[in-house]
Amino acid sequence: MQDLEEFQAFIDAGGMVEPNDAMPEEYRAEVFRFIEFHANSELMGGLTERDWIPKAPGLRLKQIFLAKTQDEIGHAHLLYMVAADMGVKSRTEMLEQLFSGRSRFHNVFHYQAVTWADQIAIAYLVDAAAFASQRAVFAECSYGPYKRVLKRIVAEEGFHMRHGEEMLLRLAEGTPIQHEMFQAALNRWWWPAVQLFGPDSASDDPLLAWKIKSQRNEVLRDAYIQKYVPLLQGYGFEIPDDGLFYDEEANDGKGRWITSPIDWEPLIATMRNGGPDSRRRINTASQNWADTAWVRDALDRSERPAA
Amino acid sequence: MTSMQTELTSREARVHEALGAVTDPEYPDVSIVDLGLVESVDFGRHGTVAVGLIPTFSGCPALAMIAADVNEAITAVEGVVRCEVRWLPAPVWSTDRVSESARVQLRNDYTVVLRKKDGTLLCPVCGSNTVTDQSSAGPTRCRSVAWCGSCRNVVEVMR
Repeated sequence: MQDLEEFQAFIDAGGMVEPNDAMPEEYRAEVFRFIEFHANSELMGGLTERDWIPKAPGLRLKQIFLAKTQDEIGHAHLLYMVAADMGVKSRTEMLEQLFSGRSRFHNVFHYQAVTWADQIAIAYLVDAAAFASQRAVFAECSYGPYKRVLKRIVAEEGFHMRHGEEMLLRLAEGTPIQHEMFQAALNRWWWPAVQLFGPDSASDDPLLAWKIKSQRNEVLRDAYIQKYVPLLQGYGFEIPDDGLFYDEEANDGKGRWITSPIDWEPLIATMRNGGPDSRRRINTASQNWADTAWVRDALDRSERPAA
Repeated sequence: MTSMQTELTSREARVHEALGAVTDPEYPDVSIVDLGLVESVDFGRHGTVAVGLIPTFSGCPALAMIAADVNEAITAVEGVVRCEVRWLPAPVWSTDRVSESARVQLRNDYTVVLRKKDGTLLCPVCGSNTVTDQSSAGPTRCRSVAWCGSCRNVVEVMR
């Protein structure tokens, strides 16, 4: 199994890798990196949701944001368990690197949510993009423990999307001011959501070969654009892209939406933790980690058997 | 067929069938009937149906969505004019209400297990009894987090 060609044949035949199995170190490193990135993103996303619990208008929306926060932090918890078990880094190492700005997380959590409408744009647009990308990972995922956790994460993200749709409808059907608020938020979040899928996959992307990803980045991104351009326009919103047009000839005459060329510089900046809100987000998360040290300490003590 | 079932009019049978097809938003293929969320179904005059549901946890964020899904499914049944869905304060939900078929689905599809009556936990992946509790809180209100030391999988426990 240590032989890479033999391992590739095993994966190609639909083989599932379990923690107790031998696996090539390259596979272990790539899968670990991917799960760590996913865990970091869930945690940073959960902290954003948390910021909006006190600001959410009304008890029902507060309850939804409370539950979403628990979901995201809980997902991070499960993913850090799977990642730490791979023996590359401990959970503490992963968290310390994240909070000191030496790790990576999804581009969308490097921007500031300015108004409540931004939070709805995140719930509607960003959750949908994350859902599409996670579902594509779940579809083939060759690492057993990750696939099992993804099954529940995908189910819960699907549930979040329904909340996002419900909240968006409220603004779309609301007053002109609400409509404007969402349009302003859409102008800020459309491109980060599209960029979440990443630039076109490299032809030799090991994550595709080893079936961690089941779809190329550009395929997922295009499916997202084809779905959300008409939906948002249908609600009366404008996509913030002057070059956007519908090519009726494309797609064997079935037509498709073509966007302006995507500027990847903002995405690259976020991957270096140099996005517009990266510093504040990381500092807040780091401060939060320090402030809650006493809780972890108390829990550790309470688990010790009585002397 | 039990005598109760044979007494059901076809409309009532259709209502029960529609209700059984409503799934939990967090387990998109597990029936709310199998999860033990349906406490009562009462048929009134003039095509009215009253459904009494009980929540797993009162703070569950899916309650409004489940009620809306039930309402939509029941009112779509031929012969039903109006449906009233209510969340009942009693009885209190417990894992005893989860059917055997839902337990199998949760175990095989979601890596979620329920504690046996004597408190033991068996790993949903490898079946061994090496599952240890990790934290009382997980992603949802109704599950805690555990770990199987044998196959090294994250296990969630419905509580």
